[in-house]
Amino acid sequence: MLRDITLGQYYPGESLIHKLDPRIKILATFIFIIELFLITEFIQYLWILLFLGMVIIISGVPLKFMLKGLQPLMIIIILTFGINIFMTKGEVLWTLGPLNITREGLHQALFMGSRLILLIIGSSVLTLTTKPIKLTDGIEKLLNPFKKIGLPAHELAMMMTIALRFIPTLLEETDKIMKAQMARGADFESGNLLKRAKSLIPLLVPLFISAFRRADELAMAMEARCYRGGENRTRMHELEFHYKDIIAFLVVLCLLGIIVWQRLR
Amino acid sequence: MSIKVENITHIYNEQMPYETTALDHVSVEIESGEFVGIIGHTGSGKSTFIQHLNGLLKPKSGKIYINGIDITEKKVKAPEIRQKVGLVFQYPEYQLFEETVFKDIAFGPSNLGLPQNEIEQRVYEALSLVGLDYREVTDKSPFDLSGGQKRRVAIAGVIAMKPEVLILDEPTAGLDPKGHKEILDMIKKMHKKEKNTIILVSHNMGDIAELSDRIIVMEKGKVVLTGSPKEVFKNADYIESIGLGLPPAMILMRMLKQRGKHVYTDILTIDQAEKQILNLLRSK
Repeated sequence: MLRDITLGQYYPGESLIHKLDPRIKILATFIFIIELFLITEFIQYLWILLFLGMVIIISGVPLKFMLKGLQPLMIIIILTFGINIFMTKGEVLWTLGPLNITREGLHQALFMGSRLILLIIGSSVLTLTTKPIKLTDGIEKLLNPFKKIGLPAHELAMMMTIALRFIPTLLEETDKIMKAQMARGADFESGNLLKRAKSLIPLLVPLFISAFRRADELAMAMEARCYRGGENRTRMHELEFHYKDIIAFLVVLCLLGIIVWQRLR
Repeated sequence: MSIKVENITHIYNEQMPYETTALDHVSVEIESGEFVGIIGHTGSGKSTFIQHLNGLLKPKSGKIYINGIDITEKKVKAPEIRQKVGLVFQYPEYQLFEETVFKDIAFGPSNLGLPQNEIEQRVYEALSLVGLDYREVTDKSPFDLSGGQKRRVAIAGVIAMKPEVLILDEPTAGLDPKGHKEILDMIKKMHKKEKNTIILVSHNMGDIAELSDRIIVMEKGKVVLTGSPKEVFKNADYIESIGLGLPPAMILMRMLKQRGKHVYTDILTIDQAEKQILNLLRSK
């Protein structure tokens, strides 16, 4: 049921992409997104496709798995596509009642649609190939310079780690409580909006209680082990840059260079 | 209320790298009014199995007949099965949510669409079956009760639906010895009174050996042994080899035998053990 959610899920593997430093992967994803927004012509997507295809093949994550992440965002993609195709003025190709499909609209819709799909797939590569713990480690390190202006980088990263850590736990818990209430005849699937919202009460009350209980227990357990935040804290696995990280980063920068150059020309 | 499970298989996370076969061609038959104990190591598929019996999970293949009706078919309505087969999950007190004990126990019956006076009657009966005083607890918040009381209220919430089959998944887990005994006595009493079918999942071999008419042993998603407690615990070495224990009385007898005393080792309950030891002492 709820276990089918794949967005942001880690896919275990030993590939080169999995082994890259999380900081590099986060930065590369940012640059990838910037590249997507710098693109002005269809033909330039070829570069992106080539790059993304290469990364996906190296990562060893099945394409099916990547596409699964698109499912929950399908509505947004279709909406973007729809708005662009009907709302852009220009040379009319077909008329559907009060709506006109223009050549420019079709172009724009396909263009924006591809951008969105590539954006989602590109960023899901990051979460699919990086363990959540490593991801937050990377974020913490990247935010470190901002500590000087008072940003609590360690605390933010710790909060994210805990949040990520508890997503599967809470999903499991939700599943369990849902089943327990269904065994008592609760119905979560039928009825109008109001009835459905009401039917969530038997699920939400126990879920909140257990979430608070867990938070309390975790805080106690952390305190019992003398946790006291970021100052002077060492870590078990220090992040280190290797040659492969630098090369990977150079590849992404090259791609950025090509796209910027083509745009300026 | 007979249950017939034919060759069911259930796979979690199918076609993903962490795919696991939780049930592997399981076939089981349970007679009406029987008290069945299910034992198995953690992860042996017990919980998955019992969730199939009231339609919370659907098997990938195989059939489940409740009173001759195949509940794996789509047209069978879920509420009908769930009214007939009640399932009490592990730590059921975590499902409590209402403001008062009465409202919480009434949740199940009112989902069945019963009239108000019938609901009240059922809450009253369920509370007395689990050994709680109606007047004392009915208007209390379930969250103000003690651990053992909460558990009993949660069990009452399922009993109030008057299921013909009651499945309990480790109903005594995490309770102190007193609470443990109270819950078991309650189950025993109810089985005697209501003559319903009871399926008890437990890690406590003593309880299982004492209460069950029949035991089902699960291991790695398969049913590996089934029979009366005597028949099942005859395979003591095998049962220990799959990570399960033996009833305490039996362990004691086996130890005495090892020391060269003439005792029978197919002893399951404390009472039987007591007789054996008395005989042993008298024969000296």
